[in-house]
Amino acid sequence: MGASAGSDDFKDKYYTGRRNNGIYIPRFRNIGGETNQKDFTRGYGYQGGGGRSDWTKQIAEMAYGAAFKEATLKPGDWQIGLSGFGEILPYQDNKMTLDYNKLDKWGLPTVTFDATLKENELNMRKDMQQQAVEMLENAGFRDVKGHDGDYAIGLGIHEMGTARMGRDRKTSVLNENNQLHDVPNVYVTDGSAMTSAGNVNPSLTYMALTARAANHAVEELKKMNI
Amino acid sequence: MDRRKALRSIGTGIGAIAVTPAVVSLFQSCQSVATYTPVFISENDFKIVSNLMEMIIPKTDIPGAIELKLPEFVDAYIDAVWDEKRKTDFKEAWTAFISSSNKAAGKENAGDLSTADWDAQLAKYLKPGNDVPADEILASQFVNQLRSLTVNAFKTNEFIGEEVLAYAPIPGEQKGCVDLMEATGGKAWSL
Ligand SMILES: Cc1cc2nc3c(=O)[nH]c(=O)nc-3n(C[C@H](O)[C@H](O)[C@H](O)COP(=O)(O)OP(=O)(O)OC[C@H]3O[C@@H](n4cnc5c(N)ncnc54)[C@H](O)[C@@H]3O)c2cc1C
Repeated sequence: MGASAGSDDFKDKYYTGRRNNGIYIPRFRNIGGETNQKDFTRGYGYQGGGGRSDWTKQIAEMAYGAAFKEATLKPGDWQIGLSGFGEILPYQDNKMTLDYNKLDKWGLPTVTFDATLKENELNMRKDMQQQAVEMLENAGFRDVKGHDGDYAIGLGIHEMGTARMGRDRKTSVLNENNQLHDVPNVYVTDGSAMTSAGNVNPSLTYMALTARAANHAVEELKKMNI
Repeated sequence: MDRRKALRSIGTGIGAIAVTPAVVSLFQSCQSVATYTPVFISENDFKIVSNLMEMIIPKTDIPGAIELKLPEFVDAYIDAVWDEKRKTDFKEAWTAFISSSNKAAGKENAGDLSTADWDAQLAKYLKPGNDVPADEILASQFVNQLRSLTVNAFKTNEFIGEEVLAYAPIPGEQKGCVDLMEATGGKAWSL
């Protein structure tokens, strides 16, 4: 979900080192005062970038042939895109289960995901698109188009959760140290420990949680607790 | 092309490309030149497709589609990479294009169409501002797809990529805003 646009400016500018640069717009919704929203809680950030790789517009006129060929060798007009990365709230009924009636070819139970976007996410997505369009329009780009990738859970790149951390063993898999509630010598330290996505890129958090859990395991081993 | 050499140069050149079975069979299908036998497109059609591609990317002071063996690449690429559905759709669109071309030229056999006949077809479907009649949408899709395939083959061709476009296999310093002429002499980056 986001928006993209083109520009007629800066035709004499280019970049070295594969791309000009990425864009990161930090969360600006629901952080207090005027930013608070009526129809959704939590928020999102944008990631995006610009580039000159698109040749379709400038050569459409030329269609085919020698002039067309020449145009394909030149950088296209500048384009820019913004994609929203939003939080999915930690709904208790968004879950995965193991299906022991349907085994994979190694005899292991297959995974069934049962998770959907709900009202908060759908409202947030509308805002994501609208704000991206507004930002690009106000910045002076042309042909601003909102896009909606028709997202279903699993299609993004920052999905997480399923072996949630929590205090209550009835509603969570892991305790606060990434140990299974029921089997304390098993630690799960990847993205599955998360309850909710936040909206920032997750890897550094996973690494920090992993370092913390590994440290905990070492201390517990020394005390002969696990 | 020597397959081993090809694979080695993939390994060192574009580390990001995974050598999947499809890529391996793509290189296996690179046959040694002059006697190329098309694998996906029929031999008769291959001549027509080659000529159409040469009209899209003609020889100028830079070699054109045929000299660069873009038709061979496109044929092998479709064969190795596309799934059955895309292949069937492509053939269906090709058939529609041929019958629309025969009809427009008032001829029975696609082999009898002249360069001017084909040129009129490309102009009809590729030049902006022409309304495509509903029963010619498939034919028009074929031409647009052939143009995309041709341009992609052209821009990823080894000679074009290394000798014609601005080529910096090791990209070096990242600068987000530089003068186009100073950076590449006005050319697009190859990578
Ligand atoms: C295209 C893309 C770009 C991204 N960019 C960023 C970014 O810029 N910054 C950022 O912070 N995050 C980014 N992410 C997200 C981040 O990469 C992931 O959230 C993170 O890698 C997840 O780590 P993980 O250890 O939880 O799971 P994974 O890294 O997915 O590890 C799971 C492992 O389990 C293995 N596995 C699965 N099933 C079995 C089995 N039955 N037996 C044995 N092994 C099994 C898998 O092969 C895999 O190695 C990106 C993700 C994608 C897809």
